[in-house]
Parts: sequence; structure tokens; C-alpha cells
Amino acid sequence: MRKKNLLLLGAGACAVLAALGSAALSQTPGPFTQDQAEAGRQAFAANCAACHQADLSGTNDAPQLAGSAFIGAWKTRTTQALFNKIAKTMPAGAPGSLDEATYTSITAFILRANGATPGSSAFMPTSSVNIGSIADGKTPSGFSLTPPAGAARPAAGQAATGRRIDPGRFVLPTKFGLTLKGDIKNYVPVTDEMLRNPPDGDWLMFRRNYAGWSYSPLTQINTSNVNQLELKWMWSMPENGTMEITPMVHNGIIYVWGTGNTIQALDGKTGNLLWENRIGPAPRNPGPGPSTEETRALGLWGNILIVNTPYGMLYGLDARTGEEIWKNNIVDYKPGIGGSTGGVIVIHGKVLVGMTNCGKPKTDDHCYISAYDAQTGKRDWKFVTVALKGDPGGDSWGDLPDNERKGAETWIAGTYDPDLNTTYWGVAQAKPWRRDLRGSKEGDTNYANSTLALDPDTGKMKWFFQHGPGESLDLDEVYERVLINHGDQKTLMTIGKAGILWKLDRVTGKFIAAKETVFQNIWKSIDPKTGRPEYRKDIVEQKVDQWLSSCPGPEGGHDWQATSYHQPTDTLIIPLSQSCVFMLGNGAQTYWEMPGTDGNMGRLSAYRTADMKPLWSFQQRAPFLTGVVSTAGNVAFIGDFDRVFRAVDVTNGRTLWKTRLGTTVQGYPVSFSVDGKQYIAVTTGLGGGSPELKPGTMLSEVHRPPNGYALFVFGLPDDK
Amino acid sequence: MRKFLLTLTLVLMAGPAFAADYQTGLGPMPLDDETKASIAGRGQATATSDGKTLSVKGDFHGLPSNATEAHIFLSPAMGVPGKKVLDLDVTKATSGTISGAFKLNSAQAAALRTGRLYIQINSENAPEEAPWGPKGTLWGWLFPAHETVGQDVPQQGHWFIPQLDTPSR
Repeated sequence: MRKKNLLLLGAGACAVLAALGSAALSQTPGPFTQDQAEAGRQAFAANCAACHQADLSGTNDAPQLAGSAFIGAWKTRTTQALFNKIAKTMPAGAPGSLDEATYTSITAFILRANGATPGSSAFMPTSSVNIGSIADGKTPSGFSLTPPAGAARPAAGQAATGRRIDPGRFVLPTKFGLTLKGDIKNYVPVTDEMLRNPPDGDWLMFRRNYAGWSYSPLTQINTSNVNQLELKWMWSMPENGTMEITPMVHNGIIYVWGTGNTIQALDGKTGNLLWENRIGPAPRNPGPGPSTEETRALGLWGNILIVNTPYGMLYGLDARTGEEIWKNNIVDYKPGIGGSTGGVIVIHGKVLVGMTNCGKPKTDDHCYISAYDAQTGKRDWKFVTVALKGDPGGDSWGDLPDNERKGAETWIAGTYDPDLNTTYWGVAQAKPWRRDLRGSKEGDTNYANSTLALDPDTGKMKWFFQHGPGESLDLDEVYERVLINHGDQKTLMTIGKAGILWKLDRVTGKFIAAKETVFQNIWKSIDPKTGRPEYRKDIVEQKVDQWLSSCPGPEGGHDWQATSYHQPTDTLIIPLSQSCVFMLGNGAQTYWEMPGTDGNMGRLSAYRTADMKPLWSFQQRAPFLTGVVSTAGNVAFIGDFDRVFRAVDVTNGRTLWKTRLGTTVQGYPVSFSVDGKQYIAVTTGLGGGSPELKPGTMLSEVHRPPNGYALFVFGLPDDK
Repeated sequence: MRKFLLTLTLVLMAGPAFAADYQTGLGPMPLDDETKASIAGRGQATATSDGKTLSVKGDFHGLPSNATEAHIFLSPAMGVPGKKVLDLDVTKATSGTISGAFKLNSAQAAALRTGRLYIQINSENAPEEAPWGPKGTLWGWLFPAHETVGQDVPQQGHWFIPQLDTPSR
């Protein structure tokens, strides 16, 4: 009895102390004014919300700026440190480009959004107060995080609030719609058979074939003549936003996506524009944008060019004219919440599309893969990529109710095995990506960071294999699934940010093998029978207010820069990055060179897939920022952060040719042919996620133009 | 005879670990856009050990401010910051050398063998706030000597990956 009373007394005392603490907090004004916070709300919406989200909830590469994650990372630091952080590092891609008043007002807004009360003194860059003494991470009731409708977005063609504009740069497009109608008379409809066995000169889907090889059977450009490659033509593309696109090629016509959802058809031989449809909208901010504002590949079926957009719209355009045939919004929850950046795959006349930036917190919104009739755009099925209660794996989220099971985005298009009639998709991590913030405890959080095998006709799951159970370091396992047969053995190979090359049995989903391709210190071991990894102890026990080391970091050992499978030599060529991170909760990150790399952030490695044997590898200071395309001419092409585009010998990795382009070579190069002549196409572009942002911080000696989005086409001299 | 062979086997197994040379490239400590102006530079170091002593020498250049001190740290795992265990001599300038010779205790010797010793050089203007060490500017983990080649030069068949090419115990 006495013990119970003491406990009650203790609990009561704690409650009183907590209340006193809360009262003391609310009575301590922050070093900013109400007017600054109001101005900061608008400036935040105009300059920051595209990445950090209008409600400050964060996404992918941009941390949450209000709530427990923010306060956990910043409570022991000062308002001056927060201002310096923002003023010296933001906006991403253009740090320091806003004026001082805008930075101070944004700082005031973030403090207000975390519960700080305004005072009578204006915030100055030197204002230094411990954030934990004025803010508790709780947004005051009645304080709207978003400005009145229409106030946040700059008018088309105008600068965002406070941004210093260079004339002629960072101007958003003003004209949308079908700006040039086409009349392609020799168009040949794309059939299911073409998708199963693509014509040699075509590039009809993301990784060229259903198996995801990014391998061209063309032989004209080969190891003996690739050093004679020359630029045939170049096409400037819309600036602003993010571009990592795969040019699609059919019957000599290139279809390409540009920022602002600008779709263009170009003559592959001459570079002439055949039609243009500026679907819009313009990127949310002028200048390089976040990874959530792009798409990586289009789709072709019949006479229809399929376009998925980062804002969740799916379009069917007439591939001959550019006219819109149908459109549909793939987002169930609310237009604008969730989109699609990973491209599409067309199977049996169905367009399969994944989702990004989906799973709105505190709602019943979830991420899913969905399928649409390629002829009409009508939805056929959807598969939710988190395991809900009652689903297989539904008990892997601890006690979390369904509405709190978030993440599991599918931001890279899947692949397909026609013989097994199975489509394979990588799934990204759970959200929040830190397990201590997620509330899933030791749970595996299925189907996050897994390979999913689905029936493309029904969306029914056949199996899943989880590569990163209970992931906690923002290390996606979402990337390309490459389908390779070894005799009778049908395998699936993939590699994620942790840099582990996985081999699975794609019939059953059973683990076959794993290979570490870069330095990693997050997993102590991987069970050789099951493939289940064991995390480092301090990762399992991570706390939101403790710094944690992770190699690789969010740039990934491997990221969206996809592999190529050179089938004749059974060689998988893998772009790798070599950087590490220190992270404080989900609020602060610092980056460093991976141990044992001598400062070389880029690595290109080749493995024989039959036995996972390493074949060759080279590294360089700049990371690679394109996927790889290999050809039957035994050459492979890849581009990098520092503007170099090169060809290497697939048998030994030796560079045979290289050239330097206008800005970062970014996207997915392809090979195609027109009138019997082989070409190589690649894009330059900026914006994007960690693979672009982290080297942007670490490679101080690399200076790139902030513009230069373009398509380049190379070929041999005409007399060759 | 059997005992002799067993002893010989153990000596041969243990031999390379104690006789091996070690090397590291020194690169910037963790940085962001806010701190990269004061955290920069590059260096290299090598180490030899006869099983009782460790001799370290190296050089560095390009620090934004003068070096103040240099140490060897023992980390709980490769790539994870740890505790300072040994002091190195360092040139108090933006470029110069580091050196030192020490007797290793068994824990330090084991850490050296398993890739858990790292060198850190501090400098005047590096930020104070980072929790992984005062004024940290350059660091690098000591790994068993291995072949290094220049940029763009492909290595055939095998290349050094720390956790695969360093003893685990």
C-alpha cells in the first residue's frame, strides 16, 4: 500500500514538473517576431517545401523540420547554429542564394513550427538561444504551416521569394500544352511481341528488355573503333527541376521526358523536333530540384506513349502526334500526395507504375503498385506495398496500427519474366526510416526493403524476400531487379544502398548468395543460408539524439544509377559510390570519404554473375551519375558527376574513349540504330537525390554549371 | 613432430598479422556545406609493427588552418569513431608530417590487426561542435598494406575492400 502511494506520489510529482516545464517553455519567447514567422512561412513554401514538404514532414533526402525528429536533433543546439545551417547549405543545389532577411524569416518560421513563441526582438544571424529552451517540437494549435492558397508559389517565370536571380537562368516555363503537333507517318505500333523481343535498334523500356539488362545487341560500335566516336547532334532541354531520364527509341524516333513534364519526340538521326507536349506543371522551384520531381522512363504500347509524372498523373499520348489520348490520377488519397518517379513497365497491355512520396503520415494513405489499361488509362489493380494486419508479414510492424505503417515506396520500375508471368519490384525502406522514430521496434516491417514478385495480370503477390529487415539508416533496396538464367537456374540479382549484391531464386524467392561490393559496416554478418543480415549493435540501439556512423551513407554503395548485364560475358557492371555518413537522428547529417578509398567516391565494378566472382574495378574521385549500357560490341558507357562520359572495355574495364559534356552526365544512356547506323544517347542534367547532393558537398574542387540539361547523341564518323 | 607442425602452423597463421605493414589515406572528417571550409586537406600514413611496437609516419597538406595535434584512436568497428589511445607528433602547420612509435597493449594490437585503429589530425579552425573529437580535420583507418592504383586504372580480379581483406579477429 505504502509502495503504491509512493509510486502515485512520484507520478504526480513528475506530472507537475512536466507541466511546469511546459509552462516555462511556453512563457519563454523565442528570439524572433510574429511578422518574421509569417514571412518565413511564405518563404519556406516558396523555397523549401518542394523537398521538406509544406507541413515540414520531410521526405527522402530532406529531413523533417517539425516534430520529434527535429527537436531530437536540435534541442541541444542554438538558434544561431540553425540559422548558419540553413543559410550556408540551403536551398539544396544553390546554397546561400537567398538574402539574409529570407534566411532569418525561414529560421523564425521553423522555430515557430516547433512550438517557440514569438517575442519582441527580431531574429538576427547572431541571435543565439538554446533551441531546447524555447521549442518542444509541437506545432502550436491554430498556427498554419502553409500560407494562404496561391501565396506560396511564384508566378510562372518569376523568382521565388528572396532568391537572387541571374538573368536568363532559372526561369520557369510559362507555356503548356501541345506546343508542336506531330505527324509521324511511318510509325509502327509497339506489340507485346516487340516488348518480349525488342528490335535490335530500339529501346522500348527502362532497361531495354523485360529482364532489366540494359544491354544492346548492336555491334557496329565496338572496342576497336569506339575511340572514333563523335558528337552527331545535341538537343537542349528544359532547365530547372531534376532530370535522370532514359531516352526511349522506337523505329528511329527518340521520345524523351524533360522537366516540367515536357515530352518531346525527336528524329534519332537528325535531332529534329517532331512534336512537343508540355504537360506541366513547371517544377515547384526554379533551379535544380529534388528527386521527387522527375521520372526515369516512359512506356510504349501500340500507338501510345505512356508518361508517369512526379505529381501522380499518368498520361497516354499519341506517339505519332503528341496529343493526349487519356489521363488518370494514380493517387487515391489526395492529388498531390504521392507521385511516381520510377518510370513504368507495360505488360500484356497493362501499365504498371510504382509510387514515391506516398504514405501520408497519420492517414490511411499507403504506397502501392498499380496497373492501368494502356488503351484507356483505367485502373485494373493495386497492391499495397506495406503489409497490413492480416496480410502475409502483417505481424512484422510490432503493435503499429495500419495507419502508421508507412514508406515502402517503389521508385524504380520493375522487370518481368514472361515465362513465369511474374513481375519483380524493389521496395524502399519503411518510414520514418529510423526504427526508433518509427515505433515498429524490432519488427521487420514487411514489405519494405524487399523484392516483390507479383502476378502482372492480377497484382497478387507470389513471394517476397526482405533484404533489409527493420531498416534504420535510409538505405533503400529499391533498385533494378536483373533477371539472369544460369542453365536451368532462374535467378534475380539486385544491389541496394548497402552495397550488397544479392542473388535470389526468382521462381521461389529463396536466397542464393550475397556479395559485398564496397566497404560496409552496418551489417555484422549475413546468414549464408537465409540471407538475413545482423545489424551492428549500436544501430539496433540507436537513439534519436546520438550521432551514428553508417558506411555506406544515403548516397548508397549503389543507387539509382543502374547496372548493365553484358550477357555474352555473363558480366554485371555496377556503378558504386564510396561515401559514409554521420547522422544525428533524422535532423542532421555530415559526410565523409569511405575508409580505404583514398577519397575516390566513384567506383565501377564488374562481377561474373554465375559465381559472383569479381572481374575488374576502377575508382575515381567523381561518382558516376548515370546507369550503364553495355553492347554486343563489348563496350560499356557511363557518365559522371564531373561531366565525363566514357566507354570502357567490358572485359577489363579499361577506358577506350571519353569526352566532357556541359554539366553532370546524369540519366540512363541507351544505344539505338537508325538506317543501319548505331548511336549512343545520354543526357546531362542536375537536381536529384543523394547521389547528386552528397558529392555536391564533398567534392569542393568540382565546379559545374548550374544549367545545361541536354540530350547528346554520339556515333561513328559517317564514312565508317 | 605433431606438436611441432601445429606450432609451425600457428606461427605461419599469426605471422602475417604481426609482420604486416599498414597504410591509410587521410581524408576530411565528416563535413557538410556549413563546415567544409574548415575541414579539408589530404594526407597519407604508413605503419609497421613487429608485434611489440608500432611505428607510424605520414604527411599531410591542404589544411585550412594549422594542425594542432594528432592521435591514434581505437574504434569499436571500422568506420565508427572511438577513443583516443596514442599521441602522434605533428607539424603545427597546414602541411607537414606526423610520426610516432609506441608499445602496443594487446587490445591495441588486436585493433590494429582488425582495422580498428585510425589516425586523426586536428586543426585550429575545425568546428568544435562535432562529438567525434575536438577540432577534427583529417582522419584515416589503418588497414593492411594493399595494392593501390591511380584513378581510372582498372584492377583485375581482386581489389581491396576493407571488411573482406582485414582479419575479423
